[in-house]
Amino acid sequence: MISVHQLVPTISPRDAVGNHTLALRNILRDLGFESEIFSMFRHQDLMTETHYVDRLPEDAQAVIYQMSIGSPVADRWARHPGKKIANYHNITPISLVGKWDGLLAAEVQLGRDQMARYATICDHAICDSDFNKAELDALGYQSTETVPVLFDISEVKADKKTLARLRRGRHGTQVLFVGRIAPNKGHHDLVAAVRTLRDIHQDDAHLHIVGTDGPPGYRRAMGTIVSHAGMREHVTFHGSVTQEELVAHYQAADVFCCLSDHEGFCVPVIEAMHHGLPVIAYDCTAVGETVDDGGLLLPQKNPLIVASALHRASTDEHLADRLREAGQRRATDFSRPATEARFRDCFLELMEPT
Amino acid sequence: MTESQNDANYFRSVVTEIEAEAKRRSTSGEYPRALLRSLDEEFRRWIPDASLENGVEDTIRGIEAAAYIDAAVPVDSRNPLGRWVKWVIRRLTYFYHRHVAQQITALGIHVTRPLRLLDASLKSVDRRLSALEDRLDVGTTARAELIAGIAAFPIAVDFGEVLSKHLAGAPGRVLLGDHVDDEFLQLLRSGGIDVYGVTSSIQENHISDVRHEGLIEHLGHLEDKSLGGFILCGLTDRASLNEQLRALRLLLLRSKPGSPVAVIVVHSDVWSTRLGPVAADLFDGRPLHPETWNHLLLREHAQDIATIESSDSTSTLITAKLP
Repeated sequence: MISVHQLVPTISPRDAVGNHTLALRNILRDLGFESEIFSMFRHQDLMTETHYVDRLPEDAQAVIYQMSIGSPVADRWARHPGKKIANYHNITPISLVGKWDGLLAAEVQLGRDQMARYATICDHAICDSDFNKAELDALGYQSTETVPVLFDISEVKADKKTLARLRRGRHGTQVLFVGRIAPNKGHHDLVAAVRTLRDIHQDDAHLHIVGTDGPPGYRRAMGTIVSHAGMREHVTFHGSVTQEELVAHYQAADVFCCLSDHEGFCVPVIEAMHHGLPVIAYDCTAVGETVDDGGLLLPQKNPLIVASALHRASTDEHLADRLREAGQRRATDFSRPATEARFRDCFLELMEPT
Repeated sequence: MTESQNDANYFRSVVTEIEAEAKRRSTSGEYPRALLRSLDEEFRRWIPDASLENGVEDTIRGIEAAAYIDAAVPVDSRNPLGRWVKWVIRRLTYFYHRHVAQQITALGIHVTRPLRLLDASLKSVDRRLSALEDRLDVGTTARAELIAGIAAFPIAVDFGEVLSKHLAGAPGRVLLGDHVDDEFLQLLRSGGIDVYGVTSSIQENHISDVRHEGLIEHLGHLEDKSLGGFILCGLTDRASLNEQLRALRLLLLRSKPGSPVAVIVVHSDVWSTRLGPVAADLFDGRPLHPETWNHLLLREHAQDIATIESSDSTSTLITAKLP
């Protein structure tokens, strides 16, 4: 049996790369390949489903490395005698994290160095977006293609309790953002925009932030920013939530706003579109490509402009309806069956006997 | 045209409308400038620097947490027998693993000690640097806030004729900055002067060839001896003394020998009367007196220095010729 295994530095549930890795393993198994996941740091819930990195068999025909951060796992992949396939999810530039978290800065720098170093040994690279592909092409990767990240948006139902809690006593526009609380995600810009929205247009707007804490320094600074901006009552940090709770957030919000400075794909944008939320996003890195014709793309994230866009999307019914329709149409481009089919084609071709 | 293209065009037009609306309301003063300034200031204030805030501290804590080795090896397994076997082995080898783990943990703690010392010394350097910065320029933030809300003083119309004569025959392009008054620029152009504007103001100019960038930044891009002259204004009543001196130095370097130059300065009493006691206190010593500009130009060996007061006695024009 042909073995196509995956290597990933860290694997955990409720994480885009983790979910993608698990989904890809299932596709590979469906194709008839032997496929396991090997990782250095494994979440307790995935201990029995995954293996420690040193168990990676040397005789595997191909090894896929999930590239999203620097790790010694990459070196293990590079030394493997089998076909080397990279699945690139992008690595945040050090300039965006360096000030906030020294360890993370060291890891992303290592990741970028490894990415450049392995250009010549990588047989094929699969990238989440054309933006990611362009980065690898520029580094001299010989064979690259774009296949979106695997994520599931169709089957999960909203958690009724969460939905009821979010809808209870709500007033004004509910702005939502989903993403790890990290400096590159621009949470501080969101607070500025929603405060401007409250001061100028709608004094009852509320910002909901869903996502795990990233660098502790940034999380602390966010708390201070929120307090000093007089937004403590108007910003809610919901932390990490289950898929069911996440769907409830999408259903309860009025508009999804993404002001990230760096994204390699941005799954929450598509999730929001799928759930019929008008999407407003700052057009940078891969965000513009992911949103495409499905949302309002802002060329700048000046709080005045963002606040005006949020106000318009929440008060102009015609615009909101068109955004919902366009978003839902765009989300179908990333439907799970379609992406799975692309991965299947990709691996059938890659593993075809020569 | 497909539905998707239709939507894309519509969304693009909405964004253009939003931008135009925001710009219009912003320039008309409909959006409170103070609000935007305070937001900007608020967010900048809380952006840390790893060495200044707790970045290093957090990093060390992370290393310390990682240095703690748990001797209780996980015993999860796909089948119950495997789990039982692992549990038995763990019990039997616990004394060994605990001994090794304790030594590794101790090593980790010893490794982080010098890092803690380094962190303490970085913080001490930072404290001293902050104290030094405070001593050099107290109240920079307060002044920046104040400046952003002050409208530029108009250039006296009667300077137009004097300057047209003074700048006639300039050996190249003349720079007007950093306050660009459309009417004044037009007046000079109609007098045959090849002049262009440079301003850091976000307000739109209706005349072509006005660069929207900081004067010092713009001068940084120019070659030496590339200007045929300059009119320095605007910056003279709002920039710090260091900035004014730096701007003058750069303007002199970028101007050709023999270039006609001019400085327009608002009278300090007009400045403080119009802007009130807060500005007078926070901008102590600003704007510089015409005599000071006279002195500064003289120091650079400028010739034919002349001082002309505006008819409304609000400002003074100092003209000179470079050696």
